[in-house]
Amino acid sequence: MTDSDQHPYVEWIASEARRPVLMDPGARDRIMAAVRAEPVPTPVPAWRRLLQPRVFHMSPAGSALLAAGLVGIGVLTGVATSNRGGRAAEHPRDVAVLPSQPPVSSPDTMYKFVIVAPQAGKVSLVGDFNDWDVAKTPMTRAGQSGLWTVAVPLSAGRHLYAFVVDGTTWVQDPSAPIAPDDGFGHANSVKLVVGGSSL
Amino acid sequence: MLTRPRDSFIALDVTFAGRGWVIKQDMSDDAADVQRVLAGDVEAYAALVDRYYDRCARFAIRMLGNRDDAEDALQATFLRAYRALNRYQERDRFSAWLYRILVNQCRSVAARRAHRERVFVREEALLLNAPDRSPVWTGEDEEFVQRVLNELDPLLREAFLLKHIEEMSYEEMSALTGVGVSALKMRVKRACDRLRERWERIQHD
Repeated sequence: MTDSDQHPYVEWIASEARRPVLMDPGARDRIMAAVRAEPVPTPVPAWRRLLQPRVFHMSPAGSALLAAGLVGIGVLTGVATSNRGGRAAEHPRDVAVLPSQPPVSSPDTMYKFVIVAPQAGKVSLVGDFNDWDVAKTPMTRAGQSGLWTVAVPLSAGRHLYAFVVDGTTWVQDPSAPIAPDDGFGHANSVKLVVGGSSL
Repeated sequence: MLTRPRDSFIALDVTFAGRGWVIKQDMSDDAADVQRVLAGDVEAYAALVDRYYDRCARFAIRMLGNRDDAEDALQATFLRAYRALNRYQERDRFSAWLYRILVNQCRSVAARRAHRERVFVREEALLLNAPDRSPVWTGEDEEFVQRVLNELDPLLREAFLLKHIEEMSYEEMSALTGVGVSALKMRVKRACDRLRERWERIQHD
């Protein structure tokens, strides 16, 4: 606990905020009514469970070693990219200024998102279509180029999205319009889908 | 010297639920309820809702500041958790898994509200006639505390609530939010600093 944490005013605010809240008594019934209208989720077979993404917990020392390894890989990739020249050579370390390709429309409403991030260890696509869940839509690195891609199905409408590099750094799509700050310190990119076509 | 080997067996608690038999093997209440739902017993989900609703409601109200938005976030949270129940893995704590969904839903509701409020600001006539939001609590202290929490930046508020109201460890908070422990510690400290500064301003006025 820090001095600020132990301040009587902070403690009073916290203790008041810990009090239980009163909600509409019918709210739980409405949740269960909505649940009953849903199909029953079916168990995932054991073999598919093995293929599901997992979260690994590492000690700080292990994380440091892994980070050092990733930096080494990233530097090598950056050098290789720089040697080939082109746009990546101008900003070999900065993912934010490298424009991604605009999403590509296809008849089955799958949209492909692309970002160039040669130094990244992992990149995810987050948006209102996946509940802003960093774990849900990991992007795949295309070879050694530093290009990360993923395809997602999008319904018609206005979608907000962003890329998350290495689990913590939010990056807007430089090739897309930007929505105002979402109140959590992030400005997001905007994707408009009208009748199966991409705007 | 011969010794009798220790008895080693697994006690099986087998119950029939909906579509088939469910084997309970030293599993938590949460995991057992999840198994029952996946076996077709939809009503078993009510036990999970009952077990976690109050705690989730408290976080949603403190985070979003009003009951209507909190109910939207709760409804979406429990519905999405139900749809994704077959992806819940028992090695994770159900409460932590559910909270991860709740935190994301609160963010989505807050983002939608921010957009809605920007639209309202442009429609001044609508704004003038808009009814007041219903207060979260009835007592003056509670309303005051919610107003103080609302003044915090959402990221600081989220970290403060998870740490000091939900009383989670920084490691648990990190798993929920995807934010590093040191960054979370800084957010909690800043939130506490803001509250302390507010108190000092009150003393000087």
